[in-house]
Amino acid sequence: MAIQLQQVSYTYADRSLWRQTALHDINLNIAKGSMVGIAGATGSGKSTLLQLFNGILKPSQGTVKVLDVTIQAGEKAPRLLPLRRRVGLVFQFPEQQMFEETVEKDLIFGPLNFGMSPEEAKMRARQAMTDMGLDLALLERNPFRLSGGQMRKAAIASVLAMDPEIIVLDEPTATLDPLSRAELIGLLERLCREQGRTIVIVTHRMDELLPYADQWALLKEGRMAFQGSGQELAADPDILESCGLSVPHSLRYWNAVARRFGLEGEKPCLTAESLAERIALLQAEGMRDRHE
Amino acid sequence: MKELYNTNEAADEAVISLEGVAFGYDPEHPILHDITLSVARGQWVSIVGPNGCGKSTLVKLLNALLPKSAGEIIISGQRLEEDTIGSIREGIGMVFQNPDNQFIGATVEEDILFGLEGQCLTYEEMDVRLKQYTEKLGISGLLSKHPGELSGGQKQRVAIASILAMKPGIVIFDEASSMLDEGSRNELLHILQGLRNEGYTILMITHDADEILASDRVLVLHGGSVAADLKPEELFLDQELLAKCHLREPYPWQLARELRRLGIETDVPASEKELIETLWPYNYSK
Amino acid sequence: MNERLLLGRSIETGSWVHKLDARSKITGMLLYLAIILISHSWAAMGLLAVFSVTVMLSTRIPLKYFIKSAKPLRFLMLFIFIVQILSVKEGEAWLTFGSFSLYEGGLRLGAFSVIRMLFLVTFTSLLTFTTTPGKLNQGLEGMLSPFKRLGLKPDRLTMMIGLALRFIPTILDESQIILKAQASRGADLKELPLKEKGRMLVSLLVPVITSAFRRAQDLVYSMEARGFRMDAPRTRYHRLRWGTADTLFVIMFIIMGVAVAVL
Repeated sequence: MAIQLQQVSYTYADRSLWRQTALHDINLNIAKGSMVGIAGATGSGKSTLLQLFNGILKPSQGTVKVLDVTIQAGEKAPRLLPLRRRVGLVFQFPEQQMFEETVEKDLIFGPLNFGMSPEEAKMRARQAMTDMGLDLALLERNPFRLSGGQMRKAAIASVLAMDPEIIVLDEPTATLDPLSRAELIGLLERLCREQGRTIVIVTHRMDELLPYADQWALLKEGRMAFQGSGQELAADPDILESCGLSVPHSLRYWNAVARRFGLEGEKPCLTAESLAERIALLQAEGMRDRHE
Repeated sequence: MKELYNTNEAADEAVISLEGVAFGYDPEHPILHDITLSVARGQWVSIVGPNGCGKSTLVKLLNALLPKSAGEIIISGQRLEEDTIGSIREGIGMVFQNPDNQFIGATVEEDILFGLEGQCLTYEEMDVRLKQYTEKLGISGLLSKHPGELSGGQKQRVAIASILAMKPGIVIFDEASSMLDEGSRNELLHILQGLRNEGYTILMITHDADEILASDRVLVLHGGSVAADLKPEELFLDQELLAKCHLREPYPWQLARELRRLGIETDVPASEKELIETLWPYNYSK
Repeated sequence: MNERLLLGRSIETGSWVHKLDARSKITGMLLYLAIILISHSWAAMGLLAVFSVTVMLSTRIPLKYFIKSAKPLRFLMLFIFIVQILSVKEGEAWLTFGSFSLYEGGLRLGAFSVIRMLFLVTFTSLLTFTTTPGKLNQGLEGMLSPFKRLGLKPDRLTMMIGLALRFIPTILDESQIILKAQASRGADLKELPLKEKGRMLVSLLVPVITSAFRRAQDLVYSMEARGFRMDAPRTRYHRLRWGTADTLFVIMFIIMGVAVAVL
C-alpha cells in the first residue's frame, strides 16, 4: 500500500469561526502505482485529507501509513523531511508558489532542500520538464513570463523534480482550458503507467478523470462516502448525487447503454470514443442476430 | 438618474458597437486590433479563444477599465469618451474570475452597498434593492457574513447581486465560473438563463461547453482579432476551430461525432434516453 | 488558521450594544482606556471587573470569545508580571529565597498590570465584535470629520482601513497555504537550521507579495467597474444616529470613571 488511513479523524485545533472541515473516521487504502480520484462537494474535507498524506497535518485520531512511515495520533511523529520528498504534494494553483527568477531555479529548489547535489537536481529538473511536456528552453525563462498553462505545468514539474513516489494534486486542472486540462491529465496518467508513480488527484470535474482512474474515493461532510473502482461507481451513480455531485455525462450514457444490453459486468466505456466503438459493436451484433 | 436605454427602440438595436477598436502600448504589436462588432440588446454572447488572445482585455475596454488605443466604442447609444465613462460604467456590470478579489465590503451587505452608495441612492432605494437582489440570488440569509465564511459559489452570487442591484443593462462575466465547483457552476448557468429571460445583454468569457451551448452567439478571438462569429452549434461542428480555441464540444456532441465516424448516422442526442431510442428504435432484445 | 483571524470579525447577536452608534462605542472605549489607567486599588479593579463582565454578557456573545481574543498576548502578560515582581521592591517581603525576595508591592503591581491588559484587550474586542467593520469605519470617519478643515480626508483613510481589514485574513490564509506548499518542497521553517531560514523566507515572501499585488489589481478593476471614483460623492446606507442609548452608554463610562477615581 502506498497510503493507508485507519480510522483517521482530524479536527482543527482551534475551533475558529471560519469554514474548516474536520475529518471523521476515515479509512482509505491507496495501492502503489495506482491512479486515484478524490471527489466531493466544496467543504467536504478534500484538501484537509491531502495534507495528511505528507505529514503537513497530523491525525487527531487513528493512524496514517504512507510508504514505510507511520504517523500515529498522539505519538511523536518521525522526522518528516524524507517523507515529503517521497510524497509530492501539489497545492491548488501551484504556480502561485513559484518565486525564483528562472524556471530552473524554481525546479531545483525542492531537490536541493532534500539534499540532492546541484548536478542531480538539474538533471531531475530537465527530466521533470520533459515529463510535463515542456520545452527545455523554458528553463532559462522567468516563471512569471510563462503562459498560464505552462506555469501550471512548470509548478507541477517543480514537485516532480523531487522524484516522488506518490504525487498528490489538489484540483490540478482548475481554471485551465479544456484542451490543457485533457493534456495535463494525460501527462499525469503517463507518470502513473510508465513510471509506476502513485497519482492521487482531487477533482471537481469527475468526467475528465473517470476514464483513467483505477479508484475513486468520495467524501461527504468529512466522512468517506464511497471507495471503489470506476466500475463500482458506475453501478451506483446515485451515490454521487447524495454527495452533492452530479453524474457526469459519460457515466450516464454508459449506464443507459449498459442497462439496455445488460453490460453491467463489463469495464465501463467512459470516453466518447470507446463508447461509440462499443455501440458500433453492439449494432453489428444486433444485425448479425437478426440475420440468423 | 439617467435612463440607460430607451425601451421604445427596436429590440435588435445594438447596445454594444465597436468600430476598428485596438488596444496595445506598442502599435507594431497590438494586443487587439481591428475589432468591429455589434451586440444586440438581450443577446447572450460567449467570447472564446485560447489564453492570451485578448478576451479579457476586450471586455475591459468596453467600460474603460483599460484605455482603447484606437477605434470607437458606443454603449447604449453613448460614445465612450472621458466624460461618459461614469454613466457607461453604470450600465455595465462585471463579474470577474476570482470570487475573493472582487469582494470589496467586509460583509455581504457592505459589498452590495458599495456600488449603490457610489450611485448616491437614497436609503429607501438602497433598502429596496438590497432586499430585492439578495432574495433574487438566494443570499438574503447571508447579509452579515464575512467572505471567509462563504463558498466560492456564494461569493460569486454576492458579486452578481452587487452588480444587478446597480441596474445595469449589460452584464459581463469574465471566466466567472472557472474557479467554482461543479454544483456552483450549474447554479451559475441557471442564474444566467434567468438573466437572459429578463432581457439582460450578456457577454461571457468562458471555456465551458455547457455555458457556450446555452448562449445565442459565439465570438472567437484569435491572435488579437475576431476570428469567427457564429452560433454555438456551428462552433461545435467545426473541429478545426474548436482546436484553435482550445475547446471541446459537450459530451453528447463528442459521442455523435464518434458515432458518425464509425458510420452510425445520428443527431446529437438530447439525453441518454433519446440516444437509446434512436439507435435501437425496436424493442428487440439481444 | 487560528485566533488571530478573529481580527476584524463581528459576531451578530442583535443585542443593545450592537445597535449603538459606532461613535458612542468608540468614545466609550477611549473612556474605558482612561479608566483602566486611573484604577489603582483592588476595589477599583473589582468594580471594573463587575462592570466589564456585565457589559460583555449583555452583548450575548459567549465570554469565551472575549477571553480568546486575549490569548495571543498571554506570554506578554506573563512577561510583564515577572518583570514587575522582580523590579518592584515595595511593601513587606512575603517570601525570601536567598538574595531574592518577593514583595507584596511587586505582586500587587504585577497583578494590576496583567489585569489592566486583560481588561483592555477583552473589553476593546467588544467594539469589533459588536460593530461590523463598515460601521466602525463610518463611526471613525464621523469622529474624524471635524479634521476635514485641516486637509485630512477621513473617507480615504477609512476606505484604506476597511480594505486592509477585509484583505488581511485572506492574505494570512493564503500565506498559510504557501507556507505549507514550500514545506512540502522541503522548506519547512520549523525543521531547518537558523541560517537557512532567511533563504526560505524569500520563498514565502515573493509569492505572498506577488499575490497581494494581483489581488490589488483585481480589486481595483472590480471597484472601478462598480463606478468607484476617488473623492466622488457617496450616500450612506447606515446613517450615524446618536440616540438616547448612546448618551446613556457614554454617561455610564463617565460614572465608572468617577467611581474608580474615588476608590
